Amino acid sequence: MACCSTVSFLMVPHYYWCSSSRLTCNFACSSYCSSVASSFVNALNAVVPEKQDLRTKAGLWDSIRSGLLKTSPTAVTEPEIKDDEIELEDEVVLVEKVQTDGTIEKIIFASSGEVDVYELELLCDKVGWPRRPPSKVAAALKNSYMVASLHLHRQPPSTDGDIPAPEKRELIGMARATSDHAFNATIWDVLVDPLYQGQGLGKALVEQMVRTLLRRDIGNITLFADAQVVDFYRGLGFESDPEGIKGMFWYPRY
Amino acid sequence: MMLSINGWLNLFQPIQLQLPLLYPSLASYHHESRQNHSVTESGMFSQSDDDLNSRGFEIHMSRDDINLDKLNSLFVMVGFPRREKGKLLRALEHTVSLLWIHEKKSGSIIGFARATGDSIFNAIIWDVVVDPSYQGLGLGKVMMERLIADLVKRGISNIALYAEPNVVGFYQPLGFISDPDGIRAMAYSRRRR
Repeated sequence: MACCSTVSFLMVPHYYWCSSSRLTCNFACSSYCSSVASSFVNALNAVVPEKQDLRTKAGLWDSIRSGLLKTSPTAVTEPEIKDDEIELEDEVVLVEKVQTDGTIEKIIFASSGEVDVYELELLCDKVGWPRRPPSKVAAALKNSYMVASLHLHRQPPSTDGDIPAPEKRELIGMARATSDHAFNATIWDVLVDPLYQGQGLGKALVEQMVRTLLRRDIGNITLFADAQVVDFYRGLGFESDPEGIKGMFWYPRY
Repeated sequence: MMLSINGWLNLFQPIQLQLPLLYPSLASYHHESRQNHSVTESGMFSQSDDDLNSRGFEIHMSRDDINLDKLNSLFVMVGFPRREKGKLLRALEHTVSLLWIHEKKSGSIIGFARATGDSIFNAIIWDVVVDPSYQGLGLGKVMMERLIADLVKRGISNIALYAEPNVVGFYQPLGFISDPDGIRAMAYSRRRR
């Protein structure tokens, strides 16, 4: 693999659908080391985390405009039953890179809701969003129809021949959607670690979410966009004030 | 799209216009604590459940006993598409708060509104409808007051909705502000793809 140690496999804008616990990724290599491709697939098979129950992980940061009431409970509504068919785990490797020292880095999109509340809190700090009680964040995540995440996976080269080095995983982006599971969905809290912005990851995040929602037959996908990101969403197929419809908020707090 | 009360504005009751300016300047919102803000100006609903009952209207805020066929009839009456019952049921099962008005004499559902969300931070209100034959009686406001009160009681502080242009004026006196701080409503359009 030495010949490809400095090659970056850039998969954006192609998204490769990976099923369940096996990765069947077909990716277009910018490298001429095509034989390396299959060994990478094997490497990916080894490191992709096992599918976990959608409902056990939680933690989602909420929008800036959400406030808190002292009396608000941290109620969790009934478990999110995705009444659709069997949940296919959607994990997409968006970027893959091999560092000069042999460290394999991957940025993986997942819509399975595996977001740790405390990791999310750190991420929100990075973008300057106010903190919220982790228990509430956890409950809000649990009550969300879809929680999408971007994780950076780093696997350093093995120092001991046969034993692979442990893989490190870091949350670098997130978005979620609430929905009635039938007609409407609303996307909230889209964020990407500032260190990783400017690479198209935010676009990939939202695009994957929309794709997933459409596949689940949710026909109306909406959101509220801060003025400075309206163009960002336009570029992803969103229309502002469609048919003159206005977003309205009840006594918003600024 | 999702919120329309046909003809509502045409039949606005005169008393609505006498209400004082409902929201002070934006600056004061920084200091105003949401939990002290009553849902209505007076702290009471514009019409009580008893008032409504005596006029033949029953307010329900549970999806138990809701007749999907009657609900669909109401939707059709205001120009919404008739929804597939299985999908409609699923939508109601994943609705955080809802309200429907049962008209006792006819047995029909003549008003409906619901809200979805994460039950913690955000709620969106959808499908606010009043049977055109019963518009102009203040029933839209009756529903909204109760729905908002329920959401506030659950601790949800961010309550939003998407309003068609002809009903923006209906929501404003209820305390809704459009495009606050430059925020824009957006919807995914398959055409644009």
